[in-house]
Amino acid sequence: TPLGPASSLPQSFLLKCLEQVRKIQADGADLQERLCTTHKLCHPEELVLLGHSLGIPQASLSSCSSQTLQLTGCLRQLHGGLFLFQGLLQALAGISPELAPTLDILQLDVTDFATNIWLQMEDLGVAPAVQPTQGPMPTFTSAFQRRAGGVLVASKLQSFLELAYRVLRYLAEP
Amino acid sequence: QCGHISLSAPIVRLGDPITASCIISQNCSHLDSESHIVWKLEAELQPGERQQYLPNGTLQSTITLPHLNRSRALLSCCLHWGNSLQILDQAELQAGYPPATPHNLSCLMNLTTNSLTCQWEPGPNNHLSTNFTLKSFRSRGNCQSQEDSIPDCVPEDGQSHCSIPRKHLQLYQNMGIWVQAKNALGTSVSPKLCLVPMDVVKLEPPTLWALGPSPELAPPQPGCLRLRWETWKPSLHIDQKCELRHQPRLGEASWDLVGALPSRTLQYELCRLRPSTAYALQMRCTRWRLPGHWSNWSPSLELTTTQR
Repeated sequence: TPLGPASSLPQSFLLKCLEQVRKIQADGADLQERLCTTHKLCHPEELVLLGHSLGIPQASLSSCSSQTLQLTGCLRQLHGGLFLFQGLLQALAGISPELAPTLDILQLDVTDFATNIWLQMEDLGVAPAVQPTQGPMPTFTSAFQRRAGGVLVASKLQSFLELAYRVLRYLAEP
Repeated sequence: QCGHISLSAPIVRLGDPITASCIISQNCSHLDSESHIVWKLEAELQPGERQQYLPNGTLQSTITLPHLNRSRALLSCCLHWGNSLQILDQAELQAGYPPATPHNLSCLMNLTTNSLTCQWEPGPNNHLSTNFTLKSFRSRGNCQSQEDSIPDCVPEDGQSHCSIPRKHLQLYQNMGIWVQAKNALGTSVSPKLCLVPMDVVKLEPPTLWALGPSPELAPPQPGCLRLRWETWKPSLHIDQKCELRHQPRLGEASWDLVGALPSRTLQYELCRLRPSTAYALQMRCTRWRLPGHWSNWSPSLELTTTQR
C-alpha cells in the first residue's frame, strides 16, 4: 500500500536522514580527495571504460523523483541503493592502508543510514517481507582496480546522495 | 613443605570472622610432642587457637579471628624452636565490601575520536580489587528489548570511563548502557541508560575571528563590533544553533547573551555596545532541532569598539 503524504514520516527521522546524508557526503568527499592526492585518480570521467569492464551497478531512485514521488517505493529504493553501496564499499576492502580508515568510516555511516531507513520502513509497515541479499559485486583484481573502483563508487554514491538529499529536503519541508 | 595454612575464605567482609588452619607435616623434623603452634596477625600474637595431633601424626592448629578489621593482614603460622619463633607459613588475609552501585552514569558522543565515551561514579572504596565493565546493547524501542549485544568495554585500571568505538555503534539507534562492578564479594550494576549516540553528541566550540577593515564594507558604527565564526569542522554535517556572549574586558559587568545564531556566518555586526571599549566575546553551539549537548564556550575573542 503506497504511503500517504510525507507527513507520515516523522520530522526527527527526516532531520536525522538529512544529517546522515551530509555526513556520508563528507566521508565520500574525503575518500575522493585522498584518492586524488595519494593516487592521482581525480576524475571519474577518465575511468568510464574501466567502469564498464568492472560492471559497477547503478542504484536507481526513480520512485523519488518529485514528479512521480511514490513514498514506499522511494524508501525501498533508498534502502536498496544504500545496501548496494554497502556491498560495493565492502568489495573495495584492501584499497590501500592510507585509505582504509576513511573507507571504514564511510562504510559504517552508509550501514547506519541503511539501517535507519529499514527500521523506519518496519515502523511504517512497508518494509519488504525479506531482508535484501547482495547481488553480484564487481571483482577488483588489482590495487589499481580497487582504487579506480573507489573513485567510481564514490562518484556514483555522491550522485545518489544528491538525489536522496533533494527528496528528503522536500519531504522535510513543513 | 613444613607447614601449610588454609583459610575458611580468602576474602571476607570487613569485620566478619575468619578461620585459619595450620597443619605441620610429620617430616618437619623439628616436630616433637612438646611442639606448640603459635599464630601471629602481622606482628601481634593471637590467642585462642585449638591444637590437636591428627591420626596420621600431623599437628593441626585452628584459630578463628572474630572480627577481621583490616583490609589487608598477614597471618603467620609459627613454631617455637629453641628460643626462637619459626615462621612455617603465611597467608594474606583480605577484607572489604561488595561493590557499591556505580552511579551518575553519563555518556557523550565524541566526534573527534568517533567514539561514545561514558563515565560514572564508582562509589566508596570497598578495599578490594574491583572490575568495572561498561555493558551495552542495541535496541529498537526504548531499550526494553535487546536487539544485539555490543562487546563489553573494559576501562583501563582504576579509570571510571570507557569509550565504545565507532565500529560497535549505530549512531542513530537506541542503546541500553549500564556499568557492572564485580569483586570477590559480589556484583552490582548501575541504573541503565537508554540513549541514541548522536543525541548525546557534544560539539567542540566554533572558532571566532575578527573582521578586519575592508574596502567593500563601510567602517563599523561606534559601539559596534564585526566578527565572523566557523563551525568546528567535524560537525559541518550537523545542523546547529549557537549563542554569543560578550562582556567588557574591564570592570565587573556580567556576560550579555545573543542567542539563536547560525552555526556559520561570513560577517556579523554586534551593536549597542559602549564605544571605545575592549570586549571579550565567546560562542558555543549545539546540535539543533535534533538533540545534543552544548559545546563549551569558545576561547575569548577580544575586540575593541570604535570611538564615537
